[in-house]
Amino acid sequence: MLRQLSARFGGPLAAAILVLLGIWLIVMVTLPQLQMIDYSLRPNLLPDQRGGLEDGWTLANYATLFANDIHRTIFFKTLWSSVLVTLLTLAVSYPLAWYLAKVATPRQAALCILLLIIPFWINEILRTYSWFIILAFRGPLNEVLMMLGLIDRPIRFLSGDAGVMVGMVYAYILFMVFPVYNAIESLDDNQVRAARDLGAGTLRTHRRIVIPHAKPGIATGCIMTFMLAAGSYAVPALLGSPGSRWFTQIIYNWFFEGGNWNQGAAYAFLLLVLCIGFMSLVMRIFRVGLGDIAK
Amino acid sequence: MDGSVRLEEVVMRFGDFTAIDETSLAIGSGEFFSFLGPSGCGKTTLLNIVSGFLTPSAGQVYIGGAPMAGVPVNRRPTAMIFQNLALFPLMMVFENIEFGLEVRGIDRRTRRETAERLLALVALEGVGPRRVTELSGGQKQRVAIARALAVEPRVLLLDEPLSALDLKLRQHMRSELKAIQRKTGITFIYITHDQGEALTMSDRVAVMSAGRLQQVADPMTLYRQPATGFVAAFVGENNRLEGRVIDRQGERVRLDAGALGELMGRTGPEVTLANGTPAALYVRPEQLRPVEGQAAAPTLVARVEAVSFEGAWVMVATRLEGSGEVLRVQLGNEVSRRYADALTPGQRLTLGFDPADAVVLPLDGSPRLDAATGEVVAGADA
Repeated sequence: MLRQLSARFGGPLAAAILVLLGIWLIVMVTLPQLQMIDYSLRPNLLPDQRGGLEDGWTLANYATLFANDIHRTIFFKTLWSSVLVTLLTLAVSYPLAWYLAKVATPRQAALCILLLIIPFWINEILRTYSWFIILAFRGPLNEVLMMLGLIDRPIRFLSGDAGVMVGMVYAYILFMVFPVYNAIESLDDNQVRAARDLGAGTLRTHRRIVIPHAKPGIATGCIMTFMLAAGSYAVPALLGSPGSRWFTQIIYNWFFEGGNWNQGAAYAFLLLVLCIGFMSLVMRIFRVGLGDIAK
Repeated sequence: MDGSVRLEEVVMRFGDFTAIDETSLAIGSGEFFSFLGPSGCGKTTLLNIVSGFLTPSAGQVYIGGAPMAGVPVNRRPTAMIFQNLALFPLMMVFENIEFGLEVRGIDRRTRRETAERLLALVALEGVGPRRVTELSGGQKQRVAIARALAVEPRVLLLDEPLSALDLKLRQHMRSELKAIQRKTGITFIYITHDQGEALTMSDRVAVMSAGRLQQVADPMTLYRQPATGFVAAFVGENNRLEGRVIDRQGERVRLDAGALGELMGRTGPEVTLANGTPAALYVRPEQLRPVEGQAAAPTLVARVEAVSFEGAWVMVATRLEGSGEVLRVQLGNEVSRRYADALTPGQRLTLGFDPADAVVLPLDGSPRLDAATGEVVAGADA
């Protein structure tokens, strides 16, 4: 790699690139993670107790989660809700990606992609707030539904999981649409035509030809959406109710309200490890390798 | 099982561009029918209209006597073999062949039996459990045929399926395709720009150019009695000599070719050639031969420019002394040995041909081909 780099950029620049890469990986990625692991393995002590008798590595912080019923429930509920968010986002994104890749003319596709991207020029918090307004009890969505006569009294979208779901699907839709779109786009049109020609209807063509081909893209989109959803803070904080608390909110509370960074670090680390484990499991079930995703 | 195909006044327009001009054509059940033409002539469009991927702007397609308007691709009794084959790369060979049967809800065992039988038909026993990506080009070709035959189409549509293969394999697959067609009795509609494929396999060939049928005939007629200048130039190799009609007696036409003098050729009864109108005489390189002494028919005097040995014959490029045009002459090895001295660049050669072997056609405005490259150079020669 060094030889290739120096052939392309010359020795000094190649060295500089490698050093910067090294600094980034070690100082900005590895060390903070190691520090967090270190935090999570130590008890929460007052400053003057640090380095004292009670200071030492312990798994007590990790045990808290397994001892606390409420936290454990919220943890699994977060995983489950993230799965739901991922599936919903896929359900919305797949037809859109298919349309963009195979149906739309280049002009239509460009316009559609632009319309998808423009809202993302705005900060995530602001976008989420706009959903807060739209979904409010006396908000425009309820108004419209009442005007159309579909409902006789306003619905409390924000009191259950619905608000969080809508907000998250919207927040992460691009992370799903683009990988799926890329994957579908690389499918030879003749594959679809051949399936049609052999008698397959729309559903079977997608199930047997398009989806298997797009699997790596779908997996990439699902992994990104799932990880983002499980680690999301803003959306559940703004659109959620006490009944739809996210695990990230508990981590936040340990850090900034409980003042217990050690406990928070342990929870954050557990979330990371379990999410990675969960993703590997799903990837194994769907027979998707890391190599497929990097494509 | 009636696999006849009939096109009735079919027109295909894309915006302002007319891809297919009003075309009517009847293809018999069990016929091996080819559409031959240069790229962009509309032959693939026509195939897509028959398969249902395109809806004609006007006109009607009948398959087995039934009108196909409103019948979607997946409900037509046709199957297509794509130019790039479009095998499903994620499926094994069996799954590819069984796909069409799976769609039709046929049970697993019958599907497998059919697949085995078809693999035997295309001489590929035992490759069923392999992935299509592991197969060679020729094997993939056969799997594509088997996959299309599995749905028992009445009409098999083939879109230049041999174009990706090497020369030897391509020639081998020609006879194989023809054999499969004979065995199954299915109507084959074959699209190609390769006249060798069209002539060797087909019962009849439609030569197409610029969205129009130029001639529909059996290969022999196409070669011996081209109906238009385009067909004469596109099918086989032809020397083209322009002139004006002097007179015509039955099939025999005399032509005043200016500096080349008087030429004689033959024409069909349906061709109109009034005295004095411009016409072209087409004489194939293999019809020309050196003559000595007095000849009964008109002769051409040319200078040898290049001689290329082609194995079974020798191709001599000469330049006509009268007009400066290139005249290509194909000589058998025996003749070329006899004239070895004359066949060196710069030598003068007197060439004759039997007027019955040369075709005279009016300059009808059909597209013209570049003699050297075989590409269409002009929309009209009028």
